Amino acid sequence: MKRTMLFALACALGLAQAQAADTAAGKSLYASNCAQCHGPTAKGMASFPALAGKDADYLQSRLETYRAGEKVGANSSLMIPNARNLSDDDIANLSAFLSNNAQ
Amino acid sequence: MSHKPSLRSLSVAAASAVLVSLPLALQAKAPEVSQDVYLDGLESPWDLAFMPDGTMFFTEKCKGLSVQLPDGTVNHLLGMSGSEGYAMTTDDLFCSGQAGMNGVTLDPDFADNHTIYVYSAYRVGDDPASNRVLRLKVGGDLATVSDRTDIVKDIPYKQAPTDHPFGDSGAHNGGRIRFSPDDGFLYVTTGDNHNSSLPQFGDNLGAKVLRIDGNGDAAPGNADATPEGFDPRIFTYGHRNVQGIAFHPESHQPIVTEHGPWHSDEVNALVPGGNSGWDPRPNMAGRGDCPDDYCGYQPNQNEGMDPEERSAYMPMTDLETYPDAMKPLWNNNGYSQGISSAAFLEGEQWGDWNGRLVVSFMGIGFGGTPVGQRINVIDLAADGPTVQDITEMPVPAGSARFRGLVMGPDGALYVTVDEGQIHRFTVE
Repeated sequence: MKRTMLFALACALGLAQAQAADTAAGKSLYASNCAQCHGPTAKGMASFPALAGKDADYLQSRLETYRAGEKVGANSSLMIPNARNLSDDDIANLSAFLSNNAQ
Repeated sequence: MSHKPSLRSLSVAAASAVLVSLPLALQAKAPEVSQDVYLDGLESPWDLAFMPDGTMFFTEKCKGLSVQLPDGTVNHLLGMSGSEGYAMTTDDLFCSGQAGMNGVTLDPDFADNHTIYVYSAYRVGDDPASNRVLRLKVGGDLATVSDRTDIVKDIPYKQAPTDHPFGDSGAHNGGRIRFSPDDGFLYVTTGDNHNSSLPQFGDNLGAKVLRIDGNGDAAPGNADATPEGFDPRIFTYGHRNVQGIAFHPESHQPIVTEHGPWHSDEVNALVPGGNSGWDPRPNMAGRGDCPDDYCGYQPNQNEGMDPEERSAYMPMTDLETYPDAMKPLWNNNGYSQGISSAAFLEGEQWGDWNGRLVVSFMGIGFGGTPVGQRINVIDLAADGPTVQDITEMPVPAGSARFRGLVMGPDGALYVTVDEGQIHRFTVE
């Protein structure tokens, strides 16, 4: 019971955090730093994957992995330098914007 | 798919004459250029081919071959594995990474024989994949294709991912096909697949430009110019990844665009049997071991560094090892920004730009290199040939990942872009 409550609390905190993310800032950052490869609506193009609608936790985890300089996938060489200077807020905002279908 | 209204160039002067080094009096006058989205809602359109009446065939990398009629109707002709809504679908054509259905071109006698050619990745079951050149007949109603014959079956395809940038399967896949207006042969551009055993070896068709006839047979004369033992379909070798080819309007010499390795996108003029000087093998030319036996991104494949330093270690054209290699006409000022396609502007409406080479860039921002999505307009004198002037095509509707360039019969320049559109550049 206690564990369930803790889990619910964690989910609620997570949700609050996601809601607190600034999707407008994420949209702006996406347009200036990401759209040229992933496409204007984040649907992906050429060798660059679709991001729109992906789970926010997944996106956040990937960006944090790249920011840490760890390789994951064939485009790591491009993503690692792009993620290197992202702040926690940048990552949260980008992930929130993209998970909301990047419209 | 839909047509969109034209967007008028607001300022030609602002976007042109960027790299000009000539005195003002000698500079060509840039035409007033408009850019509009001619066709939208596509999925990775790759290449185009026109009939004289404006009928436009186009490929989509993961879908297949379609045609737009002059009244705007689009007929889907040949679908790839997983495609729906095509008159014919074949499961042996597939896409992965950079590979899929790439180039398309019409037979020079299309009016009589209704023959079209496409370049596509091919796989049956668990057998290794390849790239093929397919010949097809287009039905008189422009709604079907038939009589498929695979005229080239053995262009290498990258089978599995490796430890390299853009290292997925299907990488460095070449894929442009064009007939020469001079000798009438079909030229096929291929890529190195991140495989160092392809470019300098003539026992395979990777990292080459092929010159063949409509049956896929070698053009007579190829073998006279290439090293002994080379496959007779090879016209030139030692390339990295050639995605663009066009023929000079005066000399008819084939001009190609070659995508560089974190440095040095090249424009090259081909000569029979020519070596483009790309050799990414390990343990030679001062190099040691390299990831997966391919040194193409060394000495530092995952971090930015001075392009000149890279070039000295892993040259795009290694003139020390191959002093007779074809020297590039231009190397994009040492940058690699994803050079893709090539065409020559044609028609009096282009004014001083009539006959100029246009080359497109998809854009890659890495290690301090500007992304560089654009189309360059190059004055290429037939004699030499030599680059006389370089400027930029205005893009009043915005830049994009410009993938393929083709002149339309109306004198406009049509451009496939990875964003899923076909752009049209027109002049007054």
